[in-house]
Amino acid sequence: MQSLLLGSYILIWPLVSLAVLAVILIATLKDIRKARQEHRGLV
Amino acid sequence: MNDSNLFQFSTLTVMLLLIGFYGGTYLLTLLIKDKKENTDAFMVSNHRIGFGLGAASMTATWIWAASFYAAATSGYTYGVSGPLHYGLWGALMILFIYPFGRRFRKLAPNAHTLGELIHARHGASSQLILASSNVLGSIISLMVNFTASGALVSVLSPLSFQAGVIIAGVGVLSYTIWSGFRASVLTDFAQLMAMMAIAIVIIPAVLFALGGPGALIDNMDVLTAEQADIFSMDAILNQGAPFFVAVLAYAIGNQTISQRLFAVDVDHIKPTFITATIGYGAIVIGLGMIGLMALITGVEPIDGNMNNLIPQMVSMYLPPIFIGLFFILVIGSLSSTADSDLSALSAIVMADVYGKNIAKNNPDPTKMLLIGRVTMIVATLLGVIFASFSLDILIMLVFVGALWGAIVFPVIASCFWDRVTNAAFTWAVVAGLVMFCLARFELLPMTGVIGIFFELLGSAGGGVVIGLMSFGFFGRRAGIIVGILGALVLAYFTLGFLRDYTVLLASLTAYGASTVVCIAISLLSSHKFDFDKIGRDVGDYDRRVEAASS
Repeated sequence: MQSLLLGSYILIWPLVSLAVLAVILIATLKDIRKARQEHRGLV
Repeated sequence: MNDSNLFQFSTLTVMLLLIGFYGGTYLLTLLIKDKKENTDAFMVSNHRIGFGLGAASMTATWIWAASFYAAATSGYTYGVSGPLHYGLWGALMILFIYPFGRRFRKLAPNAHTLGELIHARHGASSQLILASSNVLGSIISLMVNFTASGALVSVLSPLSFQAGVIIAGVGVLSYTIWSGFRASVLTDFAQLMAMMAIAIVIIPAVLFALGGPGALIDNMDVLTAEQADIFSMDAILNQGAPFFVAVLAYAIGNQTISQRLFAVDVDHIKPTFITATIGYGAIVIGLGMIGLMALITGVEPIDGNMNNLIPQMVSMYLPPIFIGLFFILVIGSLSSTADSDLSALSAIVMADVYGKNIAKNNPDPTKMLLIGRVTMIVATLLGVIFASFSLDILIMLVFVGALWGAIVFPVIASCFWDRVTNAAFTWAVVAGLVMFCLARFELLPMTGVIGIFFELLGSAGGGVVIGLMSFGFFGRRAGIIVGILGALVLAYFTLGFLRDYTVLLASLTAYGASTVVCIAISLLSSHKFDFDKIGRDVGDYDRRVEAASS
């Protein structure tokens, strides 16, 4: 039980990072598509 | 175990890694390079940065090289709760500033710096206080990041410390100088993706190389009672609380953050900041866990230097490819912050110094752009020189922290309360700084009535921090009630006790003194400011010239 708790406490952070990475990646692809549709630069 | 030296790259390998990183980053900026850059875009892009790029840029800027080392040090020193007391508070500050950021954008939708907004609100003296604090802060940040590069290169390769400093300086300048903030945002995205991917791999790799959670549990008895306690008071009072107060000041006063506030699409401010909060917290707390794992397994930092902890753990337990990944992780983090500092410094000199004070609101955009690029070159030179000489910057760092602490309440109050005057702003900052110095350097004996007086000011400062957070999310009435109650509760618990924690007392005193003075002087004034004036006074530079010529 203690192992599970400690393992979760350490591994939750890379898992959250993975989720944020996916969110940012998808959102950026949408940003690129929107910028193209509006014929303007991304930044 | 502790006799082992760190893994060493050959000169060729480390040069290939650095050339690959900075060369790739430079090539990326060619995608957005315009032959004739727009002056406003050089400072804040098109005010329409999307959610993905905005969140990536905010996260990458907030993470600097010291974030990993400090989080690991916190984990190693304070045990189970240590990484949280570094990463969690740093992350929450990103979240904390977004309600205020929305107000800044509403008041000055076309601003480039927070200083422009304060100039329109109060005039030159308040604006220049803010600008000078940022110039100092960004040069210190550049120096720290270049120093981190020098230290990393010298520890992991035969190259010298100075070589690492110079390569980082030239590398960052080369990809930022032409497109400014636009290049910073685009490269932040790529750098953050790399940093996140590497952190995701390295943290579990170290855990399982050590034998997994079960092996760590077997060694848990090496922790002291405080280190094993997730609610350790030692960690809260020595790490969490001082860091929380310091980083709050940094978030409000720092141009690298406000520049992104003014650049992100106004409809995406909230999701951008929430995502950056979670992303920052996850990466930094996660890497801080490597310090906790080092503590549990009995690893001692080489030469007693805590900055060696993460490279040491990676060197000892993982194959060389991971050390290469770790190398890129640190170079990516320091470069993303350094390019943001260059962009921030150039915007401050362009808009706050030249635009508002030299050209008196009638600047030449072409000259402005040149000034921005020259600023970047000078700032890089200063950063490289200061880093190369390994100057002791502790006093400067403490002073800038105090200045930012003293600025927080006057800046926020100036954007919401129409009675705050220029005198109230300026004297509040001066009072906050003076009282901070008296407490921080113990220029007065913190005993008897003096000790109680400073503890009361510190409690007021604590109330201000809690009150401002409540105000940001729940409105004015909640902010005032929670702030006053918070100050009273803190006074009850900290009288006779806070004086033992000098750093925390001094930081809170800066908040408390500046708030008391700002409110007192503002109440003496009957003048009421028209907030619509800010929007009228702060605008785009290129568009102004186009309008004038047509």
